[in-house]
Amino acid sequence: MKGVPTVLITVSPEVSAQMRPPRAIYPKGFKIGNSLGKPGNRDMQKQILKDALSLFTKNTRPGEFVTNEYPDYGEYHEPPRVKALK
Amino acid sequence: MTLSRKCVPFTPFEGELAKSTIALVTAAGVHLRDQEPFNISDELGDLGYRIIPEDVDSSQLMVTHHHYNHTDADKDINVVFPIDALRELQDQGFIRGIARKHVGYMGYTMQLKAMYEGTAREIANEIDKGSRADLVVLTGG
Repeated sequence: MKGVPTVLITVSPEVSAQMRPPRAIYPKGFKIGNSLGKPGNRDMQKQILKDALSLFTKNTRPGEFVTNEYPDYGEYHEPPRVKALK
Repeated sequence: MTLSRKCVPFTPFEGELAKSTIALVTAAGVHLRDQEPFNISDELGDLGYRIIPEDVDSSQLMVTHHHYNHTDADKDINVVFPIDALRELQDQGFIRGIARKHVGYMGYTMQLKAMYEGTAREIANEIDKGSRADLVVLTGG
């Protein structure tokens, strides 16, 4: 296997970062279950997908998370945090 | 192969999106209505995965996952598994093609080692063998 380039779309960037994805995009403030926005909003779904795919042709640093804002989403949800180990 | 805990595995891409075929791999518990649902009664999680074919009718997809609210995905699977959105990007020429197979699994497990060393490799092999994917988009719930 030579390896296939991947990009992750995540609404839990801190949690996802623990798995060290090669490239990731975080639609800021989206709630869990809405990785590509809201049901029926195909334009936003396509835009997020295009933005994610575009990371393949950008010179991202391995492990980089790109935060994108989509104001039309109209909500802000605080992403889940990773509990610090004591 | 053991990966360093500090190392990020990274496969570079030097091609063009308009000449690339894309596969979707989702941890959001997506599967076909006539496939066996994920086992949500096992508190350790379900280590299995389901193959979703290229020509799937998105109305035939559903979610079995009890660790996120999938009400919105039940209305429109594209919010976690953007297969119709991907097809529209293909129609627009933004990408060349849709891979022959896509993968759904349930991204919740208490058996992380088995998921990481077993399921994840099996999924990678599925994509590597016969999907014709150049690139993979991963999604969670």
